[in-house]
Amino acid sequence: MSGEPLIRWDWLFAHLGPIAERVGQHLYLAAIAVSVGFAISFALAALSIRRRKLYPFVTVLATAAYTIPSFAMFAALVAITGLSVFTAEIPLVLYTIVLFVPNIVAGFDSVPWDVLDAADGMGYTPGQRWWRVELPLAVPLVVAGLRLASVSTIGLVTVSAILGDSFGGLGYYILDGYKRHFTTEILVGGLLSIGLAVIADLGFVLLQRLLTPWAARRTVGG
Amino acid sequence: MMADEAGRAGHGSGSRTGAVSLEFRGVTKRYGHSAQARGAVNDLSLEVPAGAICVLVGPSGCGKTTSLKMVNRLIEPTAGQILLDGVNVLTEDVTELRRRIGYVIQHVGLFPHLTVGRNVAVVPALVGWSKERQLARADELLSLVGLDPAGYRSRYPFQLSGGERQRVGVARALAADPPLMLMDEPFAAVDPIVRERLQDEFLRLQRDLAKTILFVTHDIDEAIKMGDLIAVMEEGGRLAQFGPPDEILAHPASDFVARFVGADRGLKRLSLVTIADLELAPIAASAPPGLPTFSPSTKLRDALSVLLAADSRGGVALDEEGQPCGFVTVDAIASALAEDRQPAATRSGGVTRQGATGVGAAAGDDS
Amino acid sequence: MDLIGATAAWLSDPAHWQGANGIPSRLFEHVALSGGSLALATLVALPLGLWIGHTGRISWLVVTSANAWRALPSFAVIGLLVPFTTVLDANLGFTLYPTLVAMVVLAGPPILVNAYQGVADVDTDLVEAARAMGMKERQILLGVEMPIALPVLATGIRSAAVQVIATATLGSAFGFGGLGRFIVLGDANKDNGELFGGVVLVAALALTTLGLFLLLERRLVSAGLARRTAG
Ligand SMILES: Nc1ncnc2c1ncn2[C@@H]1O[C@H](COP(=O)(O)OP(=O)(O)O)[C@@H](O)[C@H]1O
Ligand SMILES: [Mg+2]
Repeated sequence: MSGEPLIRWDWLFAHLGPIAERVGQHLYLAAIAVSVGFAISFALAALSIRRRKLYPFVTVLATAAYTIPSFAMFAALVAITGLSVFTAEIPLVLYTIVLFVPNIVAGFDSVPWDVLDAADGMGYTPGQRWWRVELPLAVPLVVAGLRLASVSTIGLVTVSAILGDSFGGLGYYILDGYKRHFTTEILVGGLLSIGLAVIADLGFVLLQRLLTPWAARRTVGG
Repeated sequence: MMADEAGRAGHGSGSRTGAVSLEFRGVTKRYGHSAQARGAVNDLSLEVPAGAICVLVGPSGCGKTTSLKMVNRLIEPTAGQILLDGVNVLTEDVTELRRRIGYVIQHVGLFPHLTVGRNVAVVPALVGWSKERQLARADELLSLVGLDPAGYRSRYPFQLSGGERQRVGVARALAADPPLMLMDEPFAAVDPIVRERLQDEFLRLQRDLAKTILFVTHDIDEAIKMGDLIAVMEEGGRLAQFGPPDEILAHPASDFVARFVGADRGLKRLSLVTIADLELAPIAASAPPGLPTFSPSTKLRDALSVLLAADSRGGVALDEEGQPCGFVTVDAIASALAEDRQPAATRSGGVTRQGATGVGAAAGDDS
Repeated sequence: MDLIGATAAWLSDPAHWQGANGIPSRLFEHVALSGGSLALATLVALPLGLWIGHTGRISWLVVTSANAWRALPSFAVIGLLVPFTTVLDANLGFTLYPTLVAMVVLAGPPILVNAYQGVADVDTDLVEAARAMGMKERQILLGVEMPIALPVLATGIRSAAVQVIATATLGSAFGFGGLGRFIVLGDANKDNGELFGGVVLVAALALTTLGLFLLLERRLVSAGLARRTAG
């Protein structure tokens, strides 16, 4: 093992195909989680906005769920559901909900009352008001949530590698490399998954600026 | 030195700590480094005698706040000197200096995490008074500004109304019995009725305390009411006129000042004078019954308003005991405006005519 | 098979409550190493964040890099640390060190960013009022800015604590001890009682930590600020 270089380029070039497949799997698992999570969160957020009393309840549950380490969550699901794509997706979706709901609620909360009154005063129907005023003004925070959830999910997909070789996206290489004491694999898996997260983050920053040119971006987490 | 201050402060709020005189001497402030940067304050010179209230008034952005903050060195002047009792503030230890100067701002700046009592005692705590003494002092000051200590000392700032917050702000600024107070639009954030009450109370307080006060406002009416001396500033931080209120109203030094004090400056002057200041005509035996009556402290402006509303040419002035003592007519009120009174001497005792020189310089600068 | 029964049986077996591989010693390991990492991260990140927030110096660095830090997946960070600790010593990478380093490294950013943001967001009027009353910069930071920033600051430390415990659990896949061991061993031995017992212990530890931090925050934050944080 000693004398082994940090990266064996020959291995890397010989495995470009499987690596690309793992990148695909990684994005696939993340995309499902984010879109399903987003849909569920939008419904939950809409409910929380209508029924304010529900919101603290939702927040407490979400915070508690988020506090449970992903490793334990994945492991628990193996014991409960056995191995399937749901085993990976259920925790991933759950974690995105935690990040989405507060951002979506805050987004709609951030629309000032006087703006809504003005819209009503100008004769918008409730539907028009929602589409043309509330939604656009809520977009900055909603997209901020999307950004946070995507980045976090891309990171968490790696953890699903503990479920077995058919999961984990690039996380597979991290764990496999570790088990085989093969650093090339670890580096490929680790650096590429960080790369994916960073690219997703930058992509959403761009999207945010395109969608909301009017929004200020002064503070952390914008 | 600070301990000395504090020691005397302990003897009671009414004690006079010997107010200081304040002088701006050719003070200029430019923000930014470029030499061309437009000055926020330009060659400001004025003198405030000990114990007087000097109001800096002018439109927003004319450099009032900047001038004020140079006194306690929150801002350092680009040129010129500011002297307290003849001592340049720049030569003093900045912390010592600030602890001797009370500071009240529009948004009060009460610390949200401290109770009202501890907010008031911030400076005493800083200079190391004992806990009991801090508490006693806080209670004393709360009473002084009209807040019952038992009801207020343990509250947090968010449990106060705007007016109460301002009172606490004033109490906090008075805590170490500073000889000089800087007040930046202190009553601007409260509604007109509360504002008027705070102004009246503050003036009453000042009669006992006799601090030197530099007071900033953008409201000319407040300036006239509060000031022994008024410094009107204009855009670019120039002094447009400096003098007692009546002089500013009677003889605006420039079009700018005339416009700023308003077309009703004659009426405003009337609010500086009371029935007691007027020479009264004897009451004619033939005077009809039911005429309006005025107490000695009635302002001429209000008296005129009453007379006009009652469509009456005259009213009866009452003395302190409520006995008729003279006859007030619209003509007599009008002629009061014609007199060129010298309230500079009467109101604040011996203000130098330095103001007039300042005016000349500023007016000549207006190119 | 009965998952709950198996878990309960595993948890209540006295044999699992003693020895170097027993629950108490694993719990101690988990808590001690998490606490140590959190303390170390706090010691570095908190003063730095406060200082940046107070002076505004290099704040652009914090603002622009805050999200990049959040983008770091802990699984990848631990993994990436393996080869580099291996460079120092062939076996070091396969012990607890990569996880330990990851715990400290990942706990720092949330503490630093929140300390910075909390202090930077304190109303400038308050800071100026403090300065005008003759407070020295240190007194302003410790006596005014820090107490007012406390809710935000505490949130940062709390998320870091939760993060550290999760990272430590994850570390069990990389040779780290702690409660995550039970999950790894349960999985390897196909012992669902042990696996699920580990899950229960980990979840209980994480939730207890969260609860304790929330309680501590309520004790420490001034009642004068309570309304602000609530609304
Ligand atoms: N910190 C600063 N940096 C740059 N310019 C400033 C600063 N503070 C004030 N100014 C400028 O200086 C001028 C005077 O401001 P200020 O003294 O606050 O006016 P006022 O209190 O009369 O409204 C304004 O034009 C303002 O924009
Ligand atoms: Mg101002």
